[in-house]
Amino acid sequence: MAVHGVFMRVNQPALPYLSPRKLSYGGGVGRKQFCVKASGGSSEAEEARMVIRKEKDGWKIDFSGDKPATPLLDTINYPVHMKNLSAKDLEQLAAELRAEIVYSVAKTGGHLSSSLGVVELTVALHHVFNAPDDKIIWDVGHQAYGHKILTGRRSKMHTIRKTSGLAGFPKRDESVYDAFGAGHSSTSISAGLGMAIARDLLGKNNNVVSVIGDGAMTAGQAYEAMNNAGFLDSNLIVILNDNKQVSLPTATLDGPATPVGALSSALTKLQASPKFRQLREAAKSITKQIGPQAHEVAAKVDEYARGMLSATGSTLFEELGLYYIGPVDGHSIDDLITIFHKVKSMPAPGPVLIHIVTEKGKGYPPAEAASDKMHGVVKFDPATGKQMKTKSSTLSYTQYFAESLIKEAEVDDIIVAIHAAMGGGTGLNYFQKRFPERCFDVGIAEQHAVTFAAGLACEGLKPFCAIYSSFLQRGYDQVVHDVDLQKLPVRFAMDRAGLVGADGPTHCGAFDVAYMACLPNMVVMAPSDEAELMHMVATAAAIDDRPSCFRFPRGNGIGAALPPNNKGTPLEIGKGRVLIEGTRVAILGFGAIVQECLGAAKMLKSHNISATVADARFCKPLDTDLIRRLAKEHEILITVEEGSVGGFGSHVAHFLSLNGILDGPLKLRSMVLPDRYIEHGAPQDQIEAAGLSSRHFCGTVLSLMGRQIEALKLQ
Amino acid sequence: MCSYGLVDHRPRSDALRFSSLNSTKINNHPPQFVSFRARPRSVPTIRSSLSDTVSEQSAMSFYELLGIPETGTLLEIKQAYKQLARKYHPDVSPPDRVHEYTQRFIRVQEAYETLSDPMRRELYDRDMANGVHLAFTARKRSMFDERMEEKSAWKRRWQSQLSELKMRSMHKDSENNMSWAAQLRRERKQS
Repeated sequence: MAVHGVFMRVNQPALPYLSPRKLSYGGGVGRKQFCVKASGGSSEAEEARMVIRKEKDGWKIDFSGDKPATPLLDTINYPVHMKNLSAKDLEQLAAELRAEIVYSVAKTGGHLSSSLGVVELTVALHHVFNAPDDKIIWDVGHQAYGHKILTGRRSKMHTIRKTSGLAGFPKRDESVYDAFGAGHSSTSISAGLGMAIARDLLGKNNNVVSVIGDGAMTAGQAYEAMNNAGFLDSNLIVILNDNKQVSLPTATLDGPATPVGALSSALTKLQASPKFRQLREAAKSITKQIGPQAHEVAAKVDEYARGMLSATGSTLFEELGLYYIGPVDGHSIDDLITIFHKVKSMPAPGPVLIHIVTEKGKGYPPAEAASDKMHGVVKFDPATGKQMKTKSSTLSYTQYFAESLIKEAEVDDIIVAIHAAMGGGTGLNYFQKRFPERCFDVGIAEQHAVTFAAGLACEGLKPFCAIYSSFLQRGYDQVVHDVDLQKLPVRFAMDRAGLVGADGPTHCGAFDVAYMACLPNMVVMAPSDEAELMHMVATAAAIDDRPSCFRFPRGNGIGAALPPNNKGTPLEIGKGRVLIEGTRVAILGFGAIVQECLGAAKMLKSHNISATVADARFCKPLDTDLIRRLAKEHEILITVEEGSVGGFGSHVAHFLSLNGILDGPLKLRSMVLPDRYIEHGAPQDQIEAAGLSSRHFCGTVLSLMGRQIEALKLQ
Repeated sequence: MCSYGLVDHRPRSDALRFSSLNSTKINNHPPQFVSFRARPRSVPTIRSSLSDTVSEQSAMSFYELLGIPETGTLLEIKQAYKQLARKYHPDVSPPDRVHEYTQRFIRVQEAYETLSDPMRRELYDRDMANGVHLAFTARKRSMFDERMEEKSAWKRRWQSQLSELKMRSMHKDSENNMSWAAQLRRERKQS
């Protein structure tokens, strides 16, 4: 093995107290440094037994047994511990980091293959740059598991995405190494530019690095940021991590999705066609004839030639004002370190875009082979990659939605579906399989998706926009201005409404009732179970004179009886229903939270209180008759929704006050999500933290009736 | 002096390359691109025992072998392959020319496999541009080495890009750059 001065071979797997940095005599004194070689084996026999070893075409990790020993990774607690490692050590570190990620996610679930694809990039970044002074911003953030391991959170990786554990995305509150919180995509360049400009104004000289993927590049905000970066010309490094997936998830039902849009083909076409070849030949001969003397002319010709023969993508970035470097092999630590060092050492490079090509799920064969590359997984077995999906008697709301939309589209051939790079998440992959030419994936571009749907509606089609509740926030102006203002019949299917569990507040759909129900022309519905969802899909299909939306949560159905053939029937607009008749207390729920209300009614019965439970179904237009009746016949009216203040409860209160009903003896309480962000965790824990469980409803009722002691004693 | 990836400084007496574009014979070895044959092999070559009869056919490119233009579509490639495979299959070839036909059949099959896979076709096209020709006998390990070829081409490109950037960054803050950050940097330098 290579020798740098004196070194010690350590056979023990872990030496946490002996950090390599302490042994180096003034780090940076030429090449003669002391470094601890914490490699696990020294003899040939031990090499053969080593689970992580280097072979001709890369490092191979044996996943068949328990977690392999990670001697080098054990010495790294923070990026500063990586500074003295040699290139070979860094490669070994990358292999160990890969193994660590696989085994860690195998136990907890989460996002797997994105992190595997950027292992080398993470190692190279932390070796060259000095976090936390140098800012490293990860776009979306689900590929930052390796980053978290290397920045002091390795010991907590078993808590990732769990209640009170690490977040699944970078979070500023969690660690100083997480420069910017992420979850939604395409924000890293904007944030990075902001940090770079602030650094310039404050006179500091740290580096700012934004890592963005090719999928996130399809969003407009990335271009807005690059345009501004090119104009301001501040020093900024943008790393485009291109793993040629460009659509989320990375698959249709049958296999990998072909890249979305013209942009991806620009990125992939590097030097292929015969025409480029001819141009290159021509360029070569021209520069040859000019000869070595004419530097300037040759430089110009070179630039033109580079423009001609480099990817059409690179001239796009050049036009925006970023200097393009690439493509680079994203799995070669040597290459990455060379480039980063060079760019870091330049006095004023301005904004630079480094285009690296990686493979999603690299280094873990089951992920490389899977059609969706094991992007998001639950617990799995590392040896085989088989996921341990829990069996449930009911399907998820997403699947019921997809099923009922297909049924509607079978009888009505002007129904089309639009989603923003979330075919798997919204269930529209099933729709795409059934009606391939009626399903549109526009890339991560919600604003465009909404106006695109508006355009379709203008011409008489029936577009269904399936966008997550929190992602629709991105296209909100388009909803207001392009759809609602012009009263175009676009249907919005907002999945992941309410609390979403492990993904946390970045994906939580808390605000959609508020922002949809305040629009004058919008019909706002929410189903309380999967059968209601199917009926609401049919209702939305039938509403042809105004926009409509319906919101449904993450999770599985409750086992309600489905309509025959999974085809819903349109509901009467503005009419709710009463589920349980009672006397003194009325609980009016909106959405799937009605199930918790039913649980509360049962609990109240054991306290000898009979409660009415009603399902409002519509927030706009409200079922005013139902509300009037409930207000008249009961002492206490409680409205419940899994949304923020300003939604259903506010609309009911507004109606009651305008009609003088609040002047009377009625006691009205609205139960909504609290005025703070609920942290990630298990769904039941989140409901408890939010105060929206059956126990909380029951407690509220008991308190209102003067039975506070019983309320406090509730389990 | 900076080196551009394209400029060749050695005296060349060869004629312009325009005319030789359609020919795929190996007549142009630009020194900055490594010739496939000249590179030392670390893995033993898998040689066919009938390599001498193959050698004349190996002078043809895959396109010429299938009889389609270089811009042929996948459909054309498939049709040509099917036609030729039917013609040269050992089971249907005349008994006195079985060997020769079998060799051709294998070549045709290799041509089809390379050209029908878009990534491999891309690499093949690029190798043709570089004047390198993947011989039949190199097929078994060509995928890996093709990748290596591609990677080294990338490396050359980004190395030249880096040197260009370095040059630019020296003059970035000269007086005529009016961008926001350049002005700020000039102010800081003066103060």
